[in-house]
Amino acid sequence: MMRLIPFLLVLLLVGSVAAQSVEEQKAAIMITSYQVSPEVLMPNDIGTITVTVKNMDPMESVKLTEASILERELKVLSTPYYNIGRLGPAESVELAFTIRAGYSEGIFYPRVVIEAEGAEIIRYQIPVKVDGTVLTLGVNKLPDELYQGERATVELVVGNPRPNTVTGVALSTAAREVIPTEVFLGTLASDDSKSASFNFTPETLGAETLNFAVAFKNGDNAHATTFQVPLTVLASKKSAELILTGIEVESTAGVSVYKITGDINNAGLEAARSVVLKIDEVAGVEPRDPYKSYFVGLLSPDDFSSFELDVKVDGNVTAVPLLIEYKDEEGNPFSLTEQISIESQPTSNSGEFPVSLIAVLVIVAVVIVGMIAYSWKKR
Amino acid sequence: MFAVLINPNAFFAARLKDAVRLKVPLLIVLLSGLISGFGAYIIAGVTIEMLREVLPPEAQGIAATVGEIGAFVGAVIVTLLMWVVFAALFFGISWLFKGTGTFKRTLEVVGYGYIPTIFSSIIGAVLIYQFVATAQIPQVTDPAEMAEIVTRWITENPMMWLSSIIGILFMLWSANIWVFGLKHARNLSTRNAVITVAIPVLAYIAYTVWQLGVLS
Repeated sequence: MMRLIPFLLVLLLVGSVAAQSVEEQKAAIMITSYQVSPEVLMPNDIGTITVTVKNMDPMESVKLTEASILERELKVLSTPYYNIGRLGPAESVELAFTIRAGYSEGIFYPRVVIEAEGAEIIRYQIPVKVDGTVLTLGVNKLPDELYQGERATVELVVGNPRPNTVTGVALSTAAREVIPTEVFLGTLASDDSKSASFNFTPETLGAETLNFAVAFKNGDNAHATTFQVPLTVLASKKSAELILTGIEVESTAGVSVYKITGDINNAGLEAARSVVLKIDEVAGVEPRDPYKSYFVGLLSPDDFSSFELDVKVDGNVTAVPLLIEYKDEEGNPFSLTEQISIESQPTSNSGEFPVSLIAVLVIVAVVIVGMIAYSWKKR
Repeated sequence: MFAVLINPNAFFAARLKDAVRLKVPLLIVLLSGLISGFGAYIIAGVTIEMLREVLPPEAQGIAATVGEIGAFVGAVIVTLLMWVVFAALFFGISWLFKGTGTFKRTLEVVGYGYIPTIFSSIIGAVLIYQFVATAQIPQVTDPAEMAEIVTRWITENPMMWLSSIIGILFMLWSANIWVFGLKHARNLSTRNAVITVAIPVLAYIAYTVWQLGVLS
């Protein structure tokens, strides 16, 4: 028995040395780096986790048999790698996994598992952050008062409170009165902001809400958020104010053709340019030559111009819509419609029988009857 | 001459003692026709103006000249023809009443009856001129539309109404002269002379009233 003890000690020593040698071989591969793209996911975003596996042994190659990723909160969309191949001495390989974030926010740790032939299984946890913070949008510049028909500049600023950079940032609106409808801002780094200007020409008075949308991409994932700018539009204090005076409607004898004459006055404080008066073509109303429309041109404040228009109407029409079109100093078009009554206008050739004519008729009749009666009396 | 207006009976009784002389009646009718021609001249000018868009520019001057002169001459000729037509009608109707006397004599007394129409033609021409001076002349491209306009001018315009009514009144005055003229020229009783004159004159008045749209 005593002779057996030294033999057992030798065996233990040899076994210990052998075990140490195998352990060194198992530690030959390792994950040297990883990358999560996008850096911070938003809920339901799709991203990738790329790990770099390196053979640390400078002499021996190692055969990678399987690589997979495990996580409960994040959904792994890609399948595990099988029989990846041999990794030469000091060589490395990148393995990418596709994941989808859940609806929960926070930091998650999916575990990457690498198996190699004759080597110990490597399990490596990679932190993946899910953050639902979206871009912010605010009003940077806005006039104190907005006036109907006057162009105003609205400057909006887009901020990125997210911990990572977003790309493809674009600011857009569907509002008809806003130009441009879209401004592309591009990449927006974390905690950075960019501004965009829009020209807004309100057409209607009162409360109005402008809706803007910010579209951006987090990695390959498109996102959008909306923003509302409540406004109050006031009646312009300085704009041109066109009014019609001295309207006269003269009928053409025998036909329902009327000549409308009058003055157009600018009672506003700004000039009206390219002023054109025309008959709005509605049912039963037909503009006629020679003046289907009347061009006035520039109408300065406190100035006026005479005009005339010719129109043919059907018998049942009692009013003609007179359309006034003009532009302001900035070229913004305006139009207003005035209804011109053609029913109650006194006309020089109407079907009424004037009293004076009746008097003439009576006098002539009396004279003739007198003459005839006298001739019969003298018979 | 004034006697024929205020006392036609005495005028024709005296006039028939002399031979038939058509010179004065012809001048009366011609004068009436010339004045009516002036009114037609104005109306023709308006009509040509209405067709300004249809006619080529080079034809407008010729069309205006030909149209206006044609209307003037046409009105004079129609007036002279109407003189003969009225005389023929009176002569024919009075023949039914066994009237005697020549057609020339009938033509003479009918011509004298045109004196009131000189006044009515003057008044009518003035009213037409007044109407045209104040009227807006529409531009038409369709002859049917032009006919509609002219019809409505006649039927709806007070000036034209007045012109037509005055024409009727003066026609009655002429008829009165014709009654006494035919009585002597055709040796008719007063009753038969009235009937002879009344038939064509009432027909003429009815036609005029119908033109005004009253009977249409």
